[in-house]
Amino acid sequence: MIPQSFEYSAPESVSEALRLLGSVENSRVLAGGQSLIPMMKLRLSGPAHVIDLGRIAELHYIAQTNGSVRLGAMSTHNQVAVSETLRRSCPLLAEVAGRIGDPQVRNLGTIGGSTAHADPAADYPAALQALRAQIRLVGAGQERTVSAEDFFLDAFTTALGEGEIVYEVIVPADAPGLGSAYVKLQQPASGFAVAGVAAQVAVSGGQISTARVGITGVGAKSYVAQAVENALVGRPATAATLAQASRLAAQGVEALNDLYAQADYRTHMAQVATRRALQQALALAK
Amino acid sequence: MKVRGEQTLPLEPASAWELLLNTDALARAMPGCEGLTPLGPDEYEMKMKIAVASIQGLFAGKVRIADRNPPDSYRLHIEGQGKLGFVRGSGLLSLSPDATGTRITYEGEVQVGGLIASVGERMLDVTTKMMIGRFFNNLAQQAHEQS
Repeated sequence: MIPQSFEYSAPESVSEALRLLGSVENSRVLAGGQSLIPMMKLRLSGPAHVIDLGRIAELHYIAQTNGSVRLGAMSTHNQVAVSETLRRSCPLLAEVAGRIGDPQVRNLGTIGGSTAHADPAADYPAALQALRAQIRLVGAGQERTVSAEDFFLDAFTTALGEGEIVYEVIVPADAPGLGSAYVKLQQPASGFAVAGVAAQVAVSGGQISTARVGITGVGAKSYVAQAVENALVGRPATAATLAQASRLAAQGVEALNDLYAQADYRTHMAQVATRRALQQALALAK
Repeated sequence: MKVRGEQTLPLEPASAWELLLNTDALARAMPGCEGLTPLGPDEYEMKMKIAVASIQGLFAGKVRIADRNPPDSYRLHIEGQGKLGFVRGSGLLSLSPDATGTRITYEGEVQVGGLIASVGERMLDVTTKMMIGRFFNNLAQQAHEQS
């Protein structure tokens, strides 16, 4: 459990971090270290140089700007979970953050790190997909903003290019009346999602007017459950509608398989978690 | 673990067969492969650099082609070993003509063991399938360039 030796830098600005990232061979960015450090200790990962973003003050913020909430990449899960701004404007993201791992992980792990790592069973991606979040990436002398749907490409594979880091995550503030919920069935030892479903529902005149569903842990990457959303919008806000739509939760998705949860079980759990998340979200919708 | 899937190449069956047995094409298609060196008839030495998430590792092993049945099917055996563990796989690739070219159907079995399997069980299925998917996508890419 002792890593290979490596060089360590703790730059105090993003530009300095990018300069190091671009100039040092086999370097790796360290955010909260909740995935990278265990891999290094097991010697599954052996970067020559670790660039720690922990001292970069400009990456620590949660701020509301017209119609959206911006979260600096180094916001910890716990900061997201307890943020008053998010509880008010985007409670779904706070709820999801509060369900990640355990208190130790939540005190160190960050939204930027989790996003860049793109574990197929991580919690955040469900919310980021449902919320249609934007992820702002910066590289040497350039920056771009990518939607969550275009960012998560495959298991552990994102649109993040070489020499780029995640700068911030941008989520829209909830429209009035929107109800939201996150339901996950988790692997009891790791807390990783077997099926994690983030849902938002709004109702108008007895009919569902908005439905957004993001799912993690089921397939190789998180996704927007488009078929479920389509089966909800414009239909009566009843238990029958939710039950019928939930059956489409894993439509067209090849479910993951591991010792804890086989593919058919996972597919079924995706449907169950979707139904429960929709019920809870609907109960909170006004 | 069992793996199966299919991929269509925009090539006539005869050209698809050639591409699938072209070691340069195979080496370029295998994710992280640093080349295939002939060891004997239908047997090659392989070096592969795997990089998934923060995991990095070098695998060295063999690729073997067996049960040639041109232009319909052949079997591809792969084995590799490194500090992270070992990988052994074998799959039957079947070719059949379809409207847009040649459909390749693959069916096989992959075993992963050692350190990587004992600590990364949760990730094995998804990463193995991802690697195989990339291999066939890369082949399709090469076929597109050729056609």
